Amino acid sequence: VEMADEVEPQQTTNTVEEPLDLIRLSLDERIYVKMRNDRELRGRLHAYDQHLNMILGAVEETVTTVEIDEETYEELYKSTKRNIPMLFVRGDGVVLVAPPLRVG
Amino acid sequence: MSTCPSDSRPTLRTIVENSLVVLLQGLHGQVTTVDLRDESTARGRVVNVDAYMNVRLADVLFRDRRGRVSRLEDLFITGRNVRYVHIPDNLDITDTIEKQLGKISRMRNYETKNPQSQPKTCKICT
Repeated sequence: VEMADEVEPQQTTNTVEEPLDLIRLSLDERIYVKMRNDRELRGRLHAYDQHLNMILGAVEETVTTVEIDEETYEELYKSTKRNIPMLFVRGDGVVLVAPPLRVG
Repeated sequence: MSTCPSDSRPTLRTIVENSLVVLLQGLHGQVTTVDLRDESTARGRVVNVDAYMNVRLADVLFRDRRGRVSRLEDLFITGRNVRYVHIPDNLDITDTIEKQLGKISRMRNYETKNPQSQPKTCKICT
């Protein structure tokens, strides 16, 4: 378990040795999480583990759907957002973790 | 069964101590909402969470993916079907995890002082 505040003295290295160490660098920072089923999360990373189970604070979830117009076959993208103060995310839904996307 | 269970399989306690499930175990007795993989939601009192994230809830308000609401006295959700667990806003995460790990290690100390005789070989194979 990796946390923003250390639970007990652990042997954590400061070097980046494996991909999970990159996530450790984002502890207590805002991150972007792409999930399965066209979902995205933006929130503050409080804790994570090796399964990518995560605890995110002040989360905004975006669910994106595509509707196809039956006549014009136009693709209409809709997104639904909701805010959740504190969320536990099960790791098997996580696709990628990144710093928040900057627009432009 | 032709083979014995492997001794290298991690114990449930090891799984719990090394993952964030330990935080969910600290929610025993609290009312939370679990969002399932299939878009349904279950809001109820946490009775138990195990190492595999299987969740048992009581006095549940269950909303299926079509939005139909039903009341359930008891609900068991398999860990694989969990997408999110809404954590109560006022919960101190560090504190909850520390307390839960403390409980687990106290149980371990109890076990070493009062060793329950655990069979080392399975009775079927011998």
